[in-house]
Amino acid sequence: MNTKLNSFVIANPQECIGCKVCEIACAVAHLDKDAKTAGNFDIPVMPRLYLVKTAEVVMPIQCRHCEDAPCANVCSASAITQIDNKILIDKDKCVGCKTCMITCPFGAIELMPIYKDDKPVMQMVLKAETEEGLVEKQAFTASKCDLCADRTEGPACVQACPQKALELIVPQEKKKQRSIDAANRIAASIKSL
Amino acid sequence: MKFSENRIYIDQELCTGCKRCSQVCPVDAIEGKQGEPQSVNTDRCVLCGQCIQICSAYASAFDQDIAPREQKLSERKLLPSVKEPLFAAYNEGKAPEVKAALADKELYKMVQCAPAVRVAIAEEFELPLGSLSPGKLAAALRMLGFNSIYDTNFTADLTIMEEGNELIQRLENNGVLPMFTSCCPAWVKYVEQEYPELIPHLSSCKSPMQMAGAMFKTYGAQVAGIDAEKIYSAAVMPCTCKSFEAARPEMNSSGYRDVDAVITTRELAHLIKDAGINFADLPDESFDAPLGTYSGAGNIFCATGGVTEAALRTAYEVIAKEPIPNVDLEFVRGTDGVRTAVVGAGDIELKIAIVSGLKNAVSVLDSIKAGKTDLHFVEVMTCPGGCINGGGQPKLLLPADRAVASEYRSASTYIHDSSIEYRKSHDNPEIKKLYNNYLGKPLGDKSHHLLHTKYTARR
Repeated sequence: MNTKLNSFVIANPQECIGCKVCEIACAVAHLDKDAKTAGNFDIPVMPRLYLVKTAEVVMPIQCRHCEDAPCANVCSASAITQIDNKILIDKDKCVGCKTCMITCPFGAIELMPIYKDDKPVMQMVLKAETEEGLVEKQAFTASKCDLCADRTEGPACVQACPQKALELIVPQEKKKQRSIDAANRIAASIKSL
Repeated sequence: MKFSENRIYIDQELCTGCKRCSQVCPVDAIEGKQGEPQSVNTDRCVLCGQCIQICSAYASAFDQDIAPREQKLSERKLLPSVKEPLFAAYNEGKAPEVKAALADKELYKMVQCAPAVRVAIAEEFELPLGSLSPGKLAAALRMLGFNSIYDTNFTADLTIMEEGNELIQRLENNGVLPMFTSCCPAWVKYVEQEYPELIPHLSSCKSPMQMAGAMFKTYGAQVAGIDAEKIYSAAVMPCTCKSFEAARPEMNSSGYRDVDAVITTRELAHLIKDAGINFADLPDESFDAPLGTYSGAGNIFCATGGVTEAALRTAYEVIAKEPIPNVDLEFVRGTDGVRTAVVGAGDIELKIAIVSGLKNAVSVLDSIKAGKTDLHFVEVMTCPGGCINGGGQPKLLLPADRAVASEYRSASTYIHDSSIEYRKSHDNPEIKKLYNNYLGKPLGDKSHHLLHTKYTARR
């Protein structure tokens, strides 16, 4: 039995300044080419984490890779599965029904247009009826954090944040450290009793 | 175009108030509370564009609450075909204006490129950071329809002839010392507004771009056998302040506005893409003689310490009356914010300071003001590392790549220098010809009129 819990990235709102470097880094990491400068970014910026900025709080929100992932449970196309301790979306199976998008308790799923080699990918069959007649319709897929599954350096957002406000949480390790910290605190307070 | 129209903007719809721009702004010109959209104090701003380079607050295509992309492109005066993301901090472009001029058959189009452009523009076409591409650059400009592919590097050599001799003249005649370089327009504006009492220290030499502008519509018109009125003079610069410089009211010594339009390296990439030119596959072509022939010394103007090194290669030989033992003056290169050197030339020991990043100039200026230095020459580049990291250069998407790009652009600059036949400005054969056939001598009457300028206290 695999008892390992899924990792996830979380931001510290005390450190986040709302610069959106995480969003840029995420979008760059998921391009199908190596883009270093803005001039090489020929398609819309499509991050998989989203800066939330209200009067009260500023921090990016992204997928928690839930153990009993609601998105996977509601997916009618069986496009969302757990692979290597990550909840992943298969864009080829996704039909764009948006149920996962409205089900996700974190609002961490977005429907994004699909591009290949900087060109929009069109729906195979479905066309849109417009005043100019039937036109091709761009293909969309549900999109969310994949923890940069193909990236050896780990999540791009964590690496790029100038504030070091993002952290890749390995839950059991984090929990163990919290326990040790608590034990140390308790031991110190008992000594001073 | 008016003088005051050249400024840096922060898009109020996009700015998240992260204030990273205010950390890189060398003059504290960015105002606003944390978490709220920022604004630029135009009196303080020196238009260096470092805020543009660092800004990461982009316009999301999926944000329904902001103005449509077409509207933002038009407000920013960018070509409608531009695809790259738009960020909160920006300068107004001139590419649509240049595109219209290129289509105008009545105009004779002359273009110049700053040295920094050839070590960076290829980055916009998926080539590695710092790729050296002078040949592709010349080819692209020719394909775009420019009639003369000239070069700021040529007038960088000319600047050395004038500025080197100006330094010698100041040394010999007890002139105001130290002499400050004057090729960085943001630095010049800074001295004018923050240290007007030090204006006499600024070299009277125009920047290489403005020298080129003055030469295009005089000597260039003569060489081409055309009426100066027909010349459209465009400049491609790594800099967001050069538009401001070109619009200075005194920059008209040719009898016309010397530089009609300045576009950034990024905007040239937009024009090349707009024309459907595949930059990466272009063959290498040459810049045109006479105003496009350059030495390695002219080429290194774009890296911090480069102007100093170029000046020393010439000044040493004029003062010592013997060839410089080694043209590669490694001791003035580097990345530290303030570097000093003492150079023996003949009987003189030249004391030099090199400032990289305008923030670092304050301590040097304050000690000069207090009369506490015995420096002879001070080079200041507003952008850290020099023009290779200018506000108009290709914008790195990730913070970590900025240092990498700087290193590779700098390395390419010196590789190009060492591969050019002439390493010293005074060896450039077209410079010799220009003095013999047209200007007479450095600091002569014609030079004085065309190549030198005056400054304005701004407070």
